[in-house]
Amino acid sequence: MQPSNGAGTTKAGDWRNYKRVLLPPIRDLHQLAVYEKNGGYTALRSVLTDSKWDPKKVTDEVKASGLRGRGGAGFSTGMKWSFMPPVEPDKPRYLACNGDESEPGTFKDRQLMEYNPHLVFEGILIAAYAMSISTTYLYIRGEYADWIKHMEHELEKIYARGFVGKNIMKTDFSTEIVIHKGAGAYICGEETSLLESVEGKRAYPRIKPPFPAQKGLWARPTTVNNVESLACAPLIVNRGSEWFARLGPAKHPGPVLYGISGHVNRPGVYEYPTGMLITDLIDHVAGGMRGGKKLKALVPGGASVPVLRADMIEGVTMDAESLREAGSMMGTAGMLILDEDTDMVKFLRRVTHFYHHETCGQCTPCREGTGWLENLVTRIDDGEGNLRDLDLLLDLCDQMEGRTVCALADGAAWPVRNTIKRFRDEFEAKCRKSIFAAGVVA
Amino acid sequence: MPQVTIDNKVFDVEGQPKLLQFCLDVGVELPHFCYHPAMSIPANCRQCLVQIGTPVKDRETGEIKRDDNGDPIIQYFPKLMTSCSVDVSDGMVVKTHRSSDVVDRAQKDNLEFLLINHPLDCPICDQAGHCPLQIQSYKYGSEGSRFEFRKVHKPKKVMLGPRVMLDAERCINCTRCTRFTDEISKSHQLTIIERGVRNYPLTPPGVVFDEPYSMNVIDICPVGALTSVDFRFRARIWEMSSTPSITVTNAKGSNCEYWVRDNLVLRITPRQNRKVNEYWLPDEDRTAYHMFNENRPDGPQVRREGKLMRVGWQDAYRAAADRLNGVDRSKVLFLGSAHATVEDNYLLKQLAEAIGADVPVYIPHVEPGKADEWLVTDDRTPNANGCERLGIHPVDEALIRSKLEGGEIEAVYVMEDDPIGSGLFSEDELRDIPVILHPYHTTNETLAVADVALPAAMVVETVGTYVNVDGRAQRVRPAKAIQGVNRTLMMEMGASRQDKHGTPFDRWHNESNRIDCLPSWQVLPEIAESLGLALPKGSPKQLMRQIAETVDGFEGATYDAMGLSGVQLVEVGEIA
Repeated sequence: MQPSNGAGTTKAGDWRNYKRVLLPPIRDLHQLAVYEKNGGYTALRSVLTDSKWDPKKVTDEVKASGLRGRGGAGFSTGMKWSFMPPVEPDKPRYLACNGDESEPGTFKDRQLMEYNPHLVFEGILIAAYAMSISTTYLYIRGEYADWIKHMEHELEKIYARGFVGKNIMKTDFSTEIVIHKGAGAYICGEETSLLESVEGKRAYPRIKPPFPAQKGLWARPTTVNNVESLACAPLIVNRGSEWFARLGPAKHPGPVLYGISGHVNRPGVYEYPTGMLITDLIDHVAGGMRGGKKLKALVPGGASVPVLRADMIEGVTMDAESLREAGSMMGTAGMLILDEDTDMVKFLRRVTHFYHHETCGQCTPCREGTGWLENLVTRIDDGEGNLRDLDLLLDLCDQMEGRTVCALADGAAWPVRNTIKRFRDEFEAKCRKSIFAAGVVA
Repeated sequence: MPQVTIDNKVFDVEGQPKLLQFCLDVGVELPHFCYHPAMSIPANCRQCLVQIGTPVKDRETGEIKRDDNGDPIIQYFPKLMTSCSVDVSDGMVVKTHRSSDVVDRAQKDNLEFLLINHPLDCPICDQAGHCPLQIQSYKYGSEGSRFEFRKVHKPKKVMLGPRVMLDAERCINCTRCTRFTDEISKSHQLTIIERGVRNYPLTPPGVVFDEPYSMNVIDICPVGALTSVDFRFRARIWEMSSTPSITVTNAKGSNCEYWVRDNLVLRITPRQNRKVNEYWLPDEDRTAYHMFNENRPDGPQVRREGKLMRVGWQDAYRAAADRLNGVDRSKVLFLGSAHATVEDNYLLKQLAEAIGADVPVYIPHVEPGKADEWLVTDDRTPNANGCERLGIHPVDEALIRSKLEGGEIEAVYVMEDDPIGSGLFSEDELRDIPVILHPYHTTNETLAVADVALPAAMVVETVGTYVNVDGRAQRVRPAKAIQGVNRTLMMEMGASRQDKHGTPFDRWHNESNRIDCLPSWQVLPEIAESLGLALPKGSPKQLMRQIAETVDGFEGATYDAMGLSGVQLVEVGEIA
């Protein structure tokens, strides 16, 4: 079905006149001077110097804003901050900023780090103040070599400027930021394996509990936040939680970076409030389908969230509630748009290959299951599969989901389950025909 | 007391155990691979999944909510939980595969996953027969597999170090071996390399897995991935019999099992004893098994016309008595042995007393620098502590030498040691005086001057007691048969073995592997009799009861009390 204009209502308000805040259209904003001239680091200054901002007040403000983590799980950021135990004097507490952006179809944090790095740093510093953090590890995936260099360069500048380090802005608040380079493993984006990786160990996810807030880096209280989530903090401080909460739908508010890729005319990262109609995003933001083709399927938030058929997106908006009702998830808002020419079996083959390649191998179901899934999908794609393979695939999804330490097995099983469920005819068409005519077998 | 319900049965909980350990302790078996009680819990094999529910509590009052019948309302966790990592809590309700189809299915599923890339080369695998993966697949797994693809191939023969060989394909990535080197031995010589299904343990570049405890990973490996370079492909587990005993390589007395086929000791594995060696055994204890099979003597010998001649045991006893009668009996030097059992040394001391000679002394075998504050000691003998408690002290070399030069020593009686090999005497010094020797090996250098050689049974062939460096008395049992019929040895062997091994009914039986030797506790009374003296004649069990009753420092050390794990003896102040 062709997505049509005006079907359903957007929850993003007057999005056509939306003024961007995460990636404002200002030339050379990545430079510290330009950033400061445009109101940069005022939020940090006011938090540190204005007596009305004690750490608890900052956390409460973030909680009140309704900001939900932008890394995929969509957990309330303020709530997460409040899980940190009371401060013990002279004992370190850590913040890990997760920039290990590896989910296929997701490339929004890179944009932030490239065009507005100081917003990220300011967000980190505000979060550090709110949770009395001694050191923040900004974990950036190894493939982002250029952006790591870029961030290191800008970090040096704010160290020199006295915005980070000892006695920030001449107050008695001190905190450090360390940029940690990943080595190219998807699993490091999982929060506990990110911590293992920072500790210099093999990135095997940890069992929870204990949660990072209880025992994180080097068994000290630690919070892990996504780059984009932290970048929202200065905005909330500057403009107030009410402003933030009013952007988009009430239960999942705020500005969000939509990373649109696939068969559209203008793929890219677009900043709009949450609650945008998917149809608006495709037709009006991303310039419509490439070559005037019809939409076939859409993955709303990175490869591991369930795929939606074109006929399922009528009136669906990009927020947790609406997508859940439609049978998918917000994820990272990295949208993959697939047109009518897409072979869904091939699509799934590529997705299962990814998870097979990236499973860390710690838990049995995920280590063994991801490869088996790829084997089966590959066989079907090569025309050598049997109809029973489809049932086996669904069975394997049952055997993997919820039985592992981290959620990678879930993320590997969901696309398989949902792609088969929602495009079963395409899979059946590629399988070998049954030797029994339909209806003959009793 | 807190209570937990497992499969509708209620158990009392003491302390704060993990659920899996608790289940195993109360006899509810749950399949598992990665969990090991001595190491951290990674919960990575996902085999011990169970369904867990906890009582619902009122948020405000904290009281347990109850249904109309007054039973607590149980809320189950939405996902199955790994029992190894869950703390047992009061009121917890657990469903295992015995009462839940979901759990049963989950365990089957997991075993199916474990086997899809496992080579299933059980017919040639050393682990077959005592393989947790094999056993649990039969017990809890589903029949057959739905996997129709090429298995992942990995290196089949990797020498991790001089003693451990890796077959990476068999590995199920439980990480027990890497955790052992990280947490127990702290050598950090193993790590997991690669990612995902290609994972396997390996040494870091440039590192050899040669730590002194490396072979422990072979025991804790739940599959046949890590095998012993030495033992690999030598015997099937069901062809051997195992005997609980202790090692004699050093003074720690680590508990072990001797694995024997056809009266040859083929390997030594640790036996759990929380008070001594926990689950572990140093490599030096394991590789020592050759000494039980190689260079063993063939029956007693007597020197005639300058040459050692094979004789019968009775002739040898008489020859020994003749030699002792030919000298001033009070000038016989009796050398006891820290290699020999408490009972043997006790009898030797009795013999010396009856003859009227000085109390025996023993030759210490101490190599400073060997000890590691764990299971290896400087002392290379297993029973120095036992000798001391009997009043047998280390030999004073200067005193002995002056006595020898002064003609104060007219004969030497050596029990289970080698005074020339250990440097106490030179060959020339002993050439002209009678020497009676109980040797273990044909390589015993004192044989060159011995007049009577009475081959002695080693630890794997005898019954007896050793006292380790910490004062723990532990008994040993025969693991292999010697020649001849000895009722005491046969009884002890029957008690410690569950199969017919060591008898002519065993299809592996080969008479030539039975060494013609005797335990010293059998030889010494015979010699005494030939001398016309009376020595307590009885089984080591009776001897030990006598020792426990009469000798200070051995209170309570009866065979019944020692059992399989030994008895801690009282501290004796002046023991050096």
